[in-house]
Amino acid sequence: MRINGKWKLCEDGVIRPVISGELLSGEGFWEAVEFLLDTGADRTVFSAAMLAKLGLSMLEPEEDISGLGGVTGSVQIETQLNLPREDRRPVIFTSRFTAVTDPGALDLCVLGRDILDLFAVIIDRPGNIVCLLSQKHRYAISQEQ
Amino acid sequence: MALPPIQITMEEITDPEETARFQVRWAQAERNSAWLEAHASDMYRNHRGKFIVVAGEELFIGDTAEEVLAQARAAHPEDHSSLIRYIYPKRMIRIYAHQREMEIM
Repeated sequence: MRINGKWKLCEDGVIRPVISGELLSGEGFWEAVEFLLDTGADRTVFSAAMLAKLGLSMLEPEEDISGLGGVTGSVQIETQLNLPREDRRPVIFTSRFTAVTDPGALDLCVLGRDILDLFAVIIDRPGNIVCLLSQKHRYAISQEQ
Repeated sequence: MALPPIQITMEEITDPEETARFQVRWAQAERNSAWLEAHASDMYRNHRGKFIVVAGEELFIGDTAEEVLAQARAAHPEDHSSLIRYIYPKRMIRIYAHQREMEIM
C-alpha cells in the first residue's frame, strides 16, 4: 500500500509535508482535511477549526496534549479517517482521536505516530517525495558507486 | 515509559460504488486545495488572525470557525471537500504540536 502526500506551500510561505484525507463528521459526511506529517508527535491531533467543522460529540481526554507552549486544552472524538491509496481507493482508520480546543494551538491538523507507526514514512525534500508505505510496498537505500 | 495503548483499526475499501463516490469528493478536494495553495501568500498577508474556508474554489473569511463554516455551507452546501484554516496572527517557526511565541526575529 502506498499513500501519497506532497510538499505543500502553506499560508506562511513555508513548504511542509502534507497528506490529504477525509474525516467523518457527526452528520455522516466525509469532510476534507489536510495533515502535517509530524514524526515527533505521539498522537494525531485535529485543529480546533477542524473540530468545529466535524460537529462530533466531544469526550473527556484520556491524555493531556503538550508541546513547546506547554499543556493545551483538548478533547477526544471517535471518528473515521480516510487516507486514500495512490490508486484512489479509500483506506479507513477508526479510532478515538484528539483535538485541541484553542484555535491558536494548531493551524493545521497533525498526523502523528499513532497512524505513522503503521507505515514506513518517507519525507524526502530533495527528492520531492512524501508517502506512507506498507504491505507490498518497500523502499531501498542505495549508494552510487 | 510506554504511552497508553491506542486502538486503531485500518480497513481498505474495495467496494466500487463507495470508491466512485470518494473519487468525486476527492476531485473537488483537490481543486479546493490547489486554490488554497495558489493563493497561500494572499491568505497570510491579508487574513492574519482569521478563520478561512475554501469551498467551491471560493474564499470565505470569519472571526470564528462557526461563522466562516456557516458562510461557506450557505454558499456551497454540496461541497464537503472544503478546507478550513486558522491563519496565525504572527509569523512563527513551527516545531510540533502547539507552539506560540517562537517569532522569527
